[in-house]
Amino acid sequence: MRMIEGGHGFAGDPRAVGGVGGHIGAPHSVVGQRVVRHDARDKVQAATAYAGDWAMPGMLHGVVVRSPYPSARIRGIDTTKAAAMRGVACVLTARDVPRNTLMTDVPGQTTTVGPLRAKLHVLAEDRVRHQGEPVALVAAETLEQARDAADAVEVDYEPRPGVFDAEQALAPDAPKVHDEGNLLAHWRIARGDVDAAFAGAAVVVEGEYRTQFVDSAYLEPETGVAWIDSDGVITIRLSTQVIEHFRDVADVLDVPQNRVRVIGAYLGGGFGGKEDVTVEVYLGLLAVKTGRPVKMVWTRQESLLARAKRHPYRLRYRTAAAKTGEILAQDVELLGDSGAYAYLSALVLLYSTVTACGPYRVPAARVQARVAYTNNPPTSAMRGFGAMQTVFGYESQMDRVARALGLPPADVRKANALRRGDTLPVGQVIETHCALPELIDRAWAGLGAPTPPRAPHAKVGRGLACNLQPYGRIVWLHDWASAWVGFEMDGSLVVRCGCPDVGGGQASSLCQIAAEVLGVPIDRISVHIADSALTPLAGTTTASRQLYMSGNATLKASGELREQILGVAAKLLETSVADVDLAGGEVRAADGRTMPLRQVLAACARMGVPRSHLAVYHAPAGEPVDLTKGSGKIFPDYTFGCHAVELEVDTETGRVRLLKHVAAHDVGRAINPMSVEGQIEGGAVQGLGYAMMEEVVLEDGINLTTSFASYLIPTTVDVPDVEAIVLESGEGLGPFGARGIGEPPIGPPAAAVANAIEDATGARVTRLPMTPERVARALRLLT
Amino acid sequence: MQPFEYAAPASVDEALALLARHGADAKVLAGGQSLVPLLNYRLARPRFVVDVNDLPLDEIRVDAGRVRLGALVRHSTLAASAVVARECPLLTEAAALIGNVRVRSLGTVGGSLAHADPAAELPLAMVALDARFELRSARGSRTVEVRDFFSGYLTTVLRPDELLTSVDAPPTRGAGTAVEEFSRRPGDFALVAVAAIVTIDRQGRVENARVAIGGIDGVPRRIPAVENALRGEPPATDRIARAAELARAEVTPQSDALASGEYRTLLAGVLTKRALARAVSRAMAVPA
Repeated sequence: MRMIEGGHGFAGDPRAVGGVGGHIGAPHSVVGQRVVRHDARDKVQAATAYAGDWAMPGMLHGVVVRSPYPSARIRGIDTTKAAAMRGVACVLTARDVPRNTLMTDVPGQTTTVGPLRAKLHVLAEDRVRHQGEPVALVAAETLEQARDAADAVEVDYEPRPGVFDAEQALAPDAPKVHDEGNLLAHWRIARGDVDAAFAGAAVVVEGEYRTQFVDSAYLEPETGVAWIDSDGVITIRLSTQVIEHFRDVADVLDVPQNRVRVIGAYLGGGFGGKEDVTVEVYLGLLAVKTGRPVKMVWTRQESLLARAKRHPYRLRYRTAAAKTGEILAQDVELLGDSGAYAYLSALVLLYSTVTACGPYRVPAARVQARVAYTNNPPTSAMRGFGAMQTVFGYESQMDRVARALGLPPADVRKANALRRGDTLPVGQVIETHCALPELIDRAWAGLGAPTPPRAPHAKVGRGLACNLQPYGRIVWLHDWASAWVGFEMDGSLVVRCGCPDVGGGQASSLCQIAAEVLGVPIDRISVHIADSALTPLAGTTTASRQLYMSGNATLKASGELREQILGVAAKLLETSVADVDLAGGEVRAADGRTMPLRQVLAACARMGVPRSHLAVYHAPAGEPVDLTKGSGKIFPDYTFGCHAVELEVDTETGRVRLLKHVAAHDVGRAINPMSVEGQIEGGAVQGLGYAMMEEVVLEDGINLTTSFASYLIPTTVDVPDVEAIVLESGEGLGPFGARGIGEPPIGPPAAAVANAIEDATGARVTRLPMTPERVARALRLLT
Repeated sequence: MQPFEYAAPASVDEALALLARHGADAKVLAGGQSLVPLLNYRLARPRFVVDVNDLPLDEIRVDAGRVRLGALVRHSTLAASAVVARECPLLTEAAALIGNVRVRSLGTVGGSLAHADPAAELPLAMVALDARFELRSARGSRTVEVRDFFSGYLTTVLRPDELLTSVDAPPTRGAGTAVEEFSRRPGDFALVAVAAIVTIDRQGRVENARVAIGGIDGVPRRIPAVENALRGEPPATDRIARAAELARAEVTPQSDALASGEYRTLLAGVLTKRALARAVSRAMAVPA
């Protein structure tokens, strides 16, 4: 393991550029510290003004009218009764929407399906394609009046045949969800001589796996308030991961993009579910129509009913291995269910395609991946973004290979682990350190002494699973983020950055980076985030990219500001820039002299030197690659991890009790170890929910799980304490060598649990979630 | 939720007068653990809500040889009651399995029984215990046996103007009792739950066994086939297991989003076996 001491680790470190002496070689003073986040105190005291806490004088309440049918033609909509009801301000249908289409661009789609411009209607026109699809909007003086009026909107539906399974959707005679056909996207990788590798293999393991629809299930459903501000600017304050949707709102309302302002509140969870447009377009429509502030809070039921889910997959794997456990080839076929609309399905599928063979050297690989439209709820981004489902496939396979060869599963993984310089099947060279062998050893050792079974019918087992998860956006999306850092006259510091904070500590980490570079105590920093009008845009809080992108932008802005300030300080102290430093909120010279920052800042004002700096960080970009030729870089870099679990199986009922969970990740650099551990613990628990209980149950497109009584998520009594092991290789592309850690920890738990169940009982579960009933079936307790 | 009128009467007579006046338009609010979600989902749309929390109906006492629970006894009070633990430990065990600490702190015995969820713990325990229910209205009061009280899924014989005021059951001193339930998560409604009450005679044979099962049908019910197979037999492990197997043939549960009927049938057998085994071992430990 290569550990970097003292922060000289990468060329982008502005203090290396500045060449300042003295303190620079010392360990970081703020980065790496367990800083209590500025937002933590407010949150535990319920003082944070979340999107739903916002209220304004004269505010109306908006409600969405949704389709009860998964597939139907709309013959007509009669709003007269609803519009005449007491308190109702307006009722809107598709005809009232200036531009009723939202577009999803999917650049880089180069295979048979062709470039994709996926369409989504703001409000349904003549067809509904999934249960819960928005059909009309109501705004009224009270929420109760709005709901009553929504119930009174008369929609004349003609139910039509639907298709509710991705396999059936691809049959030639399947009902068409969209006129262009049900195949939405198709990606392929072909590398090496797969057939020859299989012919020469000591063992070939075949497996078919199925994963389920799951929901983001954030504490805070989709929520916001819109109003018309001075000069007619449509202002929307909401819970979103993407403030850049102000552009979509402007397009739908047919107004210039600079007439819409989106303010992102601190989120009560996002997990990808607030990456696509949610309430903002509806709020904009209602506010413009009525001229009054409007609030919209989706109920838990409608969030569970209609919001985009994680894609269910069918995964087929054939794995060829040598007697030594060396993986020779993978032959993978993936099929995902996009639900009724495209959203980000094609990109999710791309992530699956690239990660299908796992964090291993696989010299020959064939990956075929398709995603199809159905009349199920739409699927889109969710933490892990397609690199999640594949872990269940490739890590179940790795255990089966080990079992077939009589080798320890940990050894097989270590022997095949990617190393710097290795090439992924897609053709991307791994350019940074991959700490997989150490992560495996640490996670496995972390389980400690075996737990004895509690009862004669109980069996205890252990399993592990590794993963790789990209962080940062696909290189051909030319990602960038900007941040502004500036001193006030009293030496306090302001950071402005368009980054939404989904609860992962995104904003607080920016403060730590600025504090580190500018030597300002962290409690002297204010951070303003996520305002499309007032903070420099920083892109989406998705793809584990904010620390990487906004962190680098803040680092760059802070570094350049540091040079500006030190230049002035050196002049005032009549010494060289190399001999002055910023620390403890003052300027310190190498000879021991100090000068209050306030004095330097006053001099800056006098000399016309700016006390602020706006920086844009551009991620390394690349051109779209043809996946089949396998010769390109897809993602900036990857985060690697390994989880180990111990569990007990009740062999009479199939109940699985989780006993221990150890989660090890190489995060490159932990800017705030508490935030890193929080991401790892939360991701692991969410991954355990996926493994054990979470499932959106659909019956012919009808959602049977629209409350938390039937859509089960783990609570504190359902999961063990997660032991987070944080490795810091310093190898990441983020500030101070950090890697993204938002998504990675959700990936391994399901496969680790499946592997532990087989270790305990000899029975292999291939379908998620691994409910007691499915385990009982694997144990042959049921016919 | 939709707007409604609300009253919190201080006496039972006042409450009964309100129920008499508003009849089917009124709903009784006790701990709110069932009614409030129903209001929130707009599944219940009462015009009038009678909050009975101020009524003096929260007493636990032993009365004429029976354990009597006021309708407003909270689940947490029931679980912590020394009298109940001594006289009717099945109720102690059942109460501890209800929901979570928040539900137990607010939820009431009367509320759970009047709501009549077939997977809830207290209706099951009352079926096993042969409990009796006291129902009062402005017209008078009546006593209803448990076998007549539950009439179907979420329905009882309570009339719109009636209030369940108390429930009583015979003590189970000398018997061994146990409740086994299986839920997807601790605190959820059970997929299947079984209550068993077993007495052992001087010869060490099963004198009497009462076995009730919940979560299967619209109401919790006894399983006579299992009870009869054990009566008069020595309670050996294999005999208990064979008797418990009979439970599987006695049930035809429905499937839902949480579990299939087939799986519930498997659980019926396993839980019956485990409940009986624990009840037997407790009965054997009772001093003769």
